[in-house]
Amino acid sequence: MSIDELALILVRGLGQGAIYALIGMSFNIVVNSSGILNFANGALLVLAGVLAYFILPATPDWTIWILAAVGIAACLFVFVSLQGVLTLFPLKSSVEQHSWLITTMAISVILSAGIHLYGGSLAFRVPSILPPVSVFGLSTPSAYFLLMALAVFWFVVIRWFHQKTFTGLAMSAIAQDLDAAKVAGISVKRIQLVAFGISGLVLATTGFVGAPVINISADTGIGYLLSGFTALVIGGLGSNLGAMVGGALVGVISMFAAYRFGGIYQDTVTMGLLIAVLMLRPEGIFGLAAARKV
Amino acid sequence: MSQDIALDTASTPPAASQRLKLPSSVWLGILAIAASILVPGALGNQYWTYTFTLVTLYIVVAIMQNMLISEAGQMSFGQGAVFGIAAVTAAVMTGLHGQPFWLSAIGGVGAGLVLGALFAAPALRVQGYYLGFVTLSAALVFPQLLIAFDSITGGVNGVPAFVMSLATPVYGSITPLSILAVLFAAFALLFHAVLPHTVLGRRMIIVSNSPEAAQALGIHPGTIRSIAFLIAAFGTAIAGVLYVPLVGFVGPTAFRVDFSIFFFLAVIVGGQGKLLGPIIGVWLLHLVPNVFLADFSHYRLLIYGVVALAVMLAFPDGVVGTLSKWITSRRSGSEKVTVSLHDALRKDDELAASPAPRPEDGAALIEVREARKSFGNAVALGGASLSVKEGTIHGLVGPNGSGKTSMLNTISGFMPLDSGKVELFGRNVTRLAPWRRTRMGVGRTFQTPRIFDRLSIWENVQIGREGFGRAGGENGLAKLGSLAARWRRQDPSLLPHGQRRLLEILRVMESDARVILLDEPAGGLSPEERADLAYLLVYFRDKLGKTILLVEHDLRMVWNVADEITVMETGTVAASGMPEEIKSNPKVRALFTGGGDA
Repeated sequence: MSIDELALILVRGLGQGAIYALIGMSFNIVVNSSGILNFANGALLVLAGVLAYFILPATPDWTIWILAAVGIAACLFVFVSLQGVLTLFPLKSSVEQHSWLITTMAISVILSAGIHLYGGSLAFRVPSILPPVSVFGLSTPSAYFLLMALAVFWFVVIRWFHQKTFTGLAMSAIAQDLDAAKVAGISVKRIQLVAFGISGLVLATTGFVGAPVINISADTGIGYLLSGFTALVIGGLGSNLGAMVGGALVGVISMFAAYRFGGIYQDTVTMGLLIAVLMLRPEGIFGLAAARKV
Repeated sequence: MSQDIALDTASTPPAASQRLKLPSSVWLGILAIAASILVPGALGNQYWTYTFTLVTLYIVVAIMQNMLISEAGQMSFGQGAVFGIAAVTAAVMTGLHGQPFWLSAIGGVGAGLVLGALFAAPALRVQGYYLGFVTLSAALVFPQLLIAFDSITGGVNGVPAFVMSLATPVYGSITPLSILAVLFAAFALLFHAVLPHTVLGRRMIIVSNSPEAAQALGIHPGTIRSIAFLIAAFGTAIAGVLYVPLVGFVGPTAFRVDFSIFFFLAVIVGGQGKLLGPIIGVWLLHLVPNVFLADFSHYRLLIYGVVALAVMLAFPDGVVGTLSKWITSRRSGSEKVTVSLHDALRKDDELAASPAPRPEDGAALIEVREARKSFGNAVALGGASLSVKEGTIHGLVGPNGSGKTSMLNTISGFMPLDSGKVELFGRNVTRLAPWRRTRMGVGRTFQTPRIFDRLSIWENVQIGREGFGRAGGENGLAKLGSLAARWRRQDPSLLPHGQRRLLEILRVMESDARVILLDEPAGGLSPEERADLAYLLVYFRDKLGKTILLVEHDLRMVWNVADEITVMETGTVAASGMPEEIKSNPKVRALFTGGGDA
């Protein structure tokens, strides 16, 4: 493998990896406050891309681009918060333990079906705001670099949010000890809804910024969902640093597999990674083994 | 591991199976399935015979999915891929390579089991949503691989495969295949009805509700989860194989992700855990959009999603569950039940007359040395040592947070140590998994009793006996046998907290554990029940030679029954010795001033 092939795999792999890392972080913020993994995250990412397709003109300028970003972020903030309401809806039943799995999966099915009704299996093409960048003489979509910057941006912002804002601190408190947080007077439901909303913001910006390089169609959400989750499992569920490292690993490895064996094996390789990590080190690189269970 | 599996599939004790009465819904379900195929078949309506035979194969897949969700507590979004791999393998073998159908069927089921093993392998280590993602990824990858390997699988054209002997009508439009489908579905339904009353089914329920309790009963949770996935794959693969002669063609687009998700949602909509749930769910979700609203079939997925969401929010028990709840609520309420140690023990009075001799210097069965464990800055154990001699009751007392439960968890293996050593029966077990320690003969209870509402009161006791494959209890409470008949039908969910605790104690006492760890057994018990409990502890020590480590806040009780007492404070041992010595120890007195209950 030549040096520019390697550069190509690295740059594109890290760019794709940034998407996975961002999906991983959107998982984390909800899972840390409520123990819920949102199975609709992949479909939501694609939804942001579809919205970008509708809003952006063929040659967007920065004003429109930024306005569209804000608009889509606001949309998904509201939408995912509403999804949070449905998910946290108090279920008075003996079978409620798995309810979130089912409701989030149902939302994912509904979103994909809706996108399919509109666009069939065709991919939506979204124009890029910046021209391609030349890396080792190879034209590389600028969206990959924007995505890497976005991943760093959200990593820093979420860290700041958890450490410096009251809501963020409350979220950390809930993550560490739900009962103690309740006793301390934290309105748990409200905080959990905010977490859902923020995960919507992360997914909206990722889907929007990444739209030129994301495969936006009805069937692709699940692939992104699984890659994002695999990144998270590798890094350690709940850890954003883990999501960044895991995302980069999954991105580069699956890009290498696509380059070497063909794109059709990309998801297969990701699945192999997921199973291997679960067998060898289920708590991930940065994950902590659970404290006292009994 | 293979040994464990052999034990797991051991048959039910004869007493239980004789009394096992299948719910009438099983027969109703079998009747409904048979009628759905045979009535249009006898009338010669080919279309409906075909449709309902196909639907019945789907019902079998949903029954397997239902078993995974309700008994094993595991999520699978990948059963469609198992169905698909079996169908494609069988079709390729028979359609492209001219193999006889029976051989192709074996090949198909084998392929299904291989994919099932791919789900079962991570199930050894993880559970719940992790497996949801693993199975979902298989559902996503399988159709991609079909296309990638199109040279083998017939590519976009698919594989035509006809099996004339199975598809030729014998009467009306009834084919041997449709009869096979009825029999197979009936068998699947019976299997699901009987499963919860077998050792394996009970273990699945225990594992899905409380993996810790499973370990404390000597069950390896991962093995049980894996077996559940393999069983589900087996049934699903047979359905997939039968799909081939029915449809006569296997195309590459038949088994996409939504095919897998369909089965999952059908179970949810029908009613998870209900025997008839899969039948109603598949009928509703398949027939309504595909047959009655064929013009709207492209809204199919949207309808699935909306219906599943609505059901989950408004009727979380599904169609069947909601209906059956409504019916039972119109009947009279159930009888009130109590578990009483009195019942179990009354008239065993000879104990008081002849107390058995105690070994004064028995061998130490539990030996903990310099155990250390911290979570971040919080020290759970700071170099604590403990020695419990055979045939004694050893009290472990101390203020809240002093490390008593941590000590128990260290002994039973739930809390691996940072440093130090644990020996049981003279063997170093510091690195041994909890379920393996249980099998050496260590039983325990939990601060929050692990009672399984899906099982009857009697079954909740019985699972203690089944813990590690011993047949029938000889040394347990003989009296319990007479209570079995009454408890067999009673539902423990109505028991108050204290009674649940007693039930768990009875369970561990009924197991053949020689060493028993009790975590605050007297909490929530009335004074009479406490007296009974104290009596029971002495009874088990003297009559059955059990060794008991007792963590308890009721100091009076501890001082009454214990042969030795260890006092803990902030993760270390403050004092240890005979009750009289401890009582006069000034350090201990200082710890407990301010009330009898420390």
